[in-house]
This record gives sequence, structure tokens and C-alpha cells, in this order.
Amino acid sequence: MPSTLALTSLSRHFGETCAVDSVSLSIETGQFVGVIGRSGAGKSTLLRLINRLVDPSSGIISFEGRDITALKGKALREWRRDCAMIFQQFNLVERLDVLTNVLIGRIADHGFFSSMAMHFSDEERAMAIQALDRFGLVPQALQRAGTLSGGQQQRVAIAKALVQNPKIMLADEPIASLDPMNATLVMDGLKSINKDDGITVLVNLHTLDTARAYCDRIVAMRDGQIFFDGIAAQLTDDVVRDIYGIAGLESFNEAVTSTQKFAVSI
Amino acid sequence: MSISDEDIRAAKDRIPLAFRDPPAVLWRKRLLWLAFITLFAWTIYDFDITPERIWTGLGRLGRVLSFMFPPYIWKSWAEIAEILNGLGETLAMAFLGTVLGAIVAYPLSFLGAKNINRLSFFRHGIRRSYDIIRAFETLILALIFIRAFGLGPLPGVLAIAVSEVGTFAKLFSEALENTSEKPVDGVRSSGGSRMQQIRFAISPQVNPVILSILLYNFESNVRSGTILGIVGAGGIGFLLSDRISAYRWNEAWSIIFLIIAMVYVIDWLSGLIRARLIGKSEGAR
Ligand SMILES: Nc1ncnc2c1ncn2[C@@H]1O[C@H](COP(=O)(O)OP(=O)(O)O)[C@@H](O)[C@H]1O
Ligand SMILES: [Mg+2]
Repeated sequence: MPSTLALTSLSRHFGETCAVDSVSLSIETGQFVGVIGRSGAGKSTLLRLINRLVDPSSGIISFEGRDITALKGKALREWRRDCAMIFQQFNLVERLDVLTNVLIGRIADHGFFSSMAMHFSDEERAMAIQALDRFGLVPQALQRAGTLSGGQQQRVAIAKALVQNPKIMLADEPIASLDPMNATLVMDGLKSINKDDGITVLVNLHTLDTARAYCDRIVAMRDGQIFFDGIAAQLTDDVVRDIYGIAGLESFNEAVTSTQKFAVSI
Repeated sequence: MSISDEDIRAAKDRIPLAFRDPPAVLWRKRLLWLAFITLFAWTIYDFDITPERIWTGLGRLGRVLSFMFPPYIWKSWAEIAEILNGLGETLAMAFLGTVLGAIVAYPLSFLGAKNINRLSFFRHGIRRSYDIIRAFETLILALIFIRAFGLGPLPGVLAIAVSEVGTFAKLFSEALENTSEKPVDGVRSSGGSRMQQIRFAISPQVNPVILSILLYNFESNVRSGTILGIVGAGGIGFLLSDRISAYRWNEAWSIIFLIIAMVYVIDWLSGLIRARLIGKSEGAR
């Protein structure tokens, strides 16, 4: 299999803290990879580094053999378009309508004047409506994004990511603020993007069972480093205890919002 | 629970300050009161405010007020047209001054917002310049501009515009600083340039606030527009001061009532518009 996204000794410091500590990772096209680890392990920083929302302190990010670390200006913006990102807090523009929020996925290709006028072509609008249709959100297209429920907002965010025609999709704890039913809808949406569109998905998860249910491959982080990298079956209780700490395990198993149970019962 | 003298003494021993201020604090309080009363009494004495003067003033005030009745009604179309023209001119001055001020203030406000202009010394310089502009009262600006541009609405419009540049720039930058960074991240992660981040993520957050500020200040500029007229900068105020200096108080009162009615209607209308704008995505674009 071709190795598309490769991280080599990637690090990022924030003052004294080393949020990501010489991480090397290689992700093949079409994989569905889950990143787990306790809060503060560096998961968000890792995704933000890949999208280049955060600049690395050292190390290299490359995609299909091309160095991403050095990109600037237009090339950088095109890279961000190619590796779409969704966030725990959705990060939509709440005051704009849903359709415009989805169309924001197209702006990397827009010039100054069409952006200032918020002008989009009919083709782009149709594309956005198609993307919304996949998530059953066409009736809400002209509603203000802020009036939607969390689950709906996250699906709008995925639709926006889709119209970017991305090669990779990064998702930073996309279901952490959602109830189990919406969490299932969002995870199923990501799964369909992965299976039907062949887009590589890299998702940070705070619930272990979600990771087991959806991911081809699970990467665990601890103190900024990769601590485990394998398939779900290899993730034994011993490993889990090490990832989350002994005290964490009991409360962890109970506290998780179980998307899996829901998926089964539906 | 009963408290004996013994208990009181014991409590006083434990926390004396709970019962009486320490002498230093006590004296400071007395001195401050003394200073306050002296200042108050001295200003009254110095301005020679006596019950007698108040009394005779009230008598004359009654005479001035009596000119309200019967209310003066303009009869010929020429008279009515002159008054309507004055009211219209005041509204137009407020409108033009507000719009011109906002056009200049809008770009300036971005330079003064912490989340947009990250060069702190430059930003602080810009902010100080807003304060300097705001230190000039509109009325003083009008007097200066009347000297330069002559009597009429032009100096009034300029006075409103210039003083609003400072106010608007300050208020707009505060609105910009109160925006959430999350949508900015969302736009940036899709490949948006800095300009696109501002256009798509920040301006939708501030535009409704800015529109609301504009309407509110338009209202207050209609009020200050009448004052500017009194010193010679056109509009209804000009007619008012003309009638007063000609001792035509009955007509002056009718003009004053019209001004009050106009300000009230503008208040009500803009309140209505503001309520409609909040919560509508059209206002955000
Ligand atoms: N912008 C930042 N400034 C300073 N410290 C940060 C910043 N972002 C993350 N960190 C620190 O880096 C570490 C990893 O954070 P993060 O990547 O958010 O972890 P996770 O997503 O796994 O909870 C934490 O100690 C956090 O405090
Ligand atoms: Mg995180």
C-alpha cells in the first residue's frame, strides 16, 4: 500500500511543554485511523500540526512524497483545503446560514473580490446542497447555523469538509460534545466518507469503544509520544491501563458515551 | 441567646476593628466629608446662588412657558416648508455625518483590534488617536468648521463625521475584540486567507453589532444636530435660535415640540429596526 501521509520526528513545544514529542507515523490512503489518549496527551496538537494550523518546532510532514512543512501562502492554503478538518466545537460561523457555512469549504479557490462579496457559483451551490443532502440537512440549508443542534452543526461541518474535495479528513474529538445518537450519526458519516469516497480519516477520540467500533487502526498517545500503534484487537486491558493510567480505567469504562451500544441497538 | 457586657468586652478585645474604625481611617473620613461640604458650599457662594435669584428666575420661566399657549400654528405653506426643510436638513446632517464617520472608522477599527492587528505599539498608537479625536466635543468641532467652511449644514456634517470617527473606531474595535476565534479556525482550516478569515468568520460576528451602533448613534446625532444648528451649522436648530433671538417664543415652542416629536419617532423606528436585525443572518453578511 502506498504510504501517503508521513510524519517524521515531528515535535511541537509550547514554552516548557512538549505537546508533540518526535512523533513518527505513516498513514496509508483509505485508512480509518483513531487517535486515543488522555486529555493533554497532544492529540489536538498533532491534528493541528498536520493541517498546519500550528507550525512544527521540528520534524517533517510529507504527503505523497511532497514536503508539507515548508509550504507557504497559496500552496499552504491549498494543502489545508486538501486535508479538511472538523472540530469538537464545530467552529461554524453561527451567524451565517448553513449553506454559506458549507460554501466556506470552497474559498481556498476564490479570489479577493468574490470572497469579499461572498459570491459563489451555481455549481458550487449545487455541490453544497448535495453534500448537505447526504446528511439529511437540506431543509435546514437557509437557516442560521447557530440555531441548529450540536449534532446537526457537526454534520454541517462534515458537509463543508466534503465540498473541499479533501484527500484526508482530520477530526478532533468530533463527538465529544454530542449525545450518543448524534455521535453515532457523525461517526457513521465519517465512516461513509472513508468507505464510499475513499478519503483517509484521522480522528481523535475520547471513547475507547468508539475507536474499537470504527477504526481500522488505533494510535495511542501519551505525553506527546506514540505509545501504541495497532489494530483494535491488540489493544488489551494492560495497554489501555497504561494509556489512561490505572486510576482512570474504572471510571473510564463507565464514563464513556457509548456509540457502539447505540449502533447495535439501531 | 443573650449577650452580657462581659461578652461585648471579650469580643471587642478579640476584633477591635469590628466595632470602631482605627483613628487614621476615622480622620480620613471626617476630612473627606469636610472637603466635600466645603466645595459644595463654596461653589454655591461663588456663583451667587441665592433663593431670591431662584425665585425671580422661576417667575420669568413661567412667562416663557406661558408662550406655549395657545400653540403657534404655521399657516402659510411657505412657513411650513421652511420648518419642514429645517427638520429634513437636521436629519440629513445626522445621516451624512454618521455614514461618513462610519466609512472612515471601519478600516481604522481593524487596526485598533487586538485580535487583528498584532503589532502592539502600532495598535496602541491607533487607539490613542481615537481618544484624541474623541476628546474634541462635536460642538467645538462645529465652531471650528463654521469658521473654516462658513455657516450652513456642511460644517455640521463634518463636525458629526469627525467626532464619530473616534467613537465608532473605538466601539467597532471593541466589537471586533469580542468575537470568537473558533469560526476563524474553521475558515482557516478550509484554506481561507487572512482576508477571507476576516470576511467570513469575523465580520458576520461584528456586522449586526456595528449596524446597531450605527442606528443608535444616528439617533443621538439627530439630537446633537439640532444643537449644532443653534451655533449656525444649519438645520432646525438654526431656525430655533433665530426665533428665540427675535423673541418669537410662541413659535420657538412649536419648533421645540416638533424636534422632540422627531427625536421620539427616530428613536422608536431605530429601536424597531435594531430588534429586527438581531438574530437575522441577512444582517450578518
Ligand atoms: N496553544 C497552546 N499554547 C500553550 N500550550 C498548549 C497549546 N496547545 C496545547 N498546549 C499544551 O499542549 C499539551 C497537549 O495539548 P493538546 O494537544 O490539546 O492535548 P489533547 O488534545 O490530547 O487533550 C497540553 O499540555 C496543552 O496544555
Ligand atoms: Mg484535544
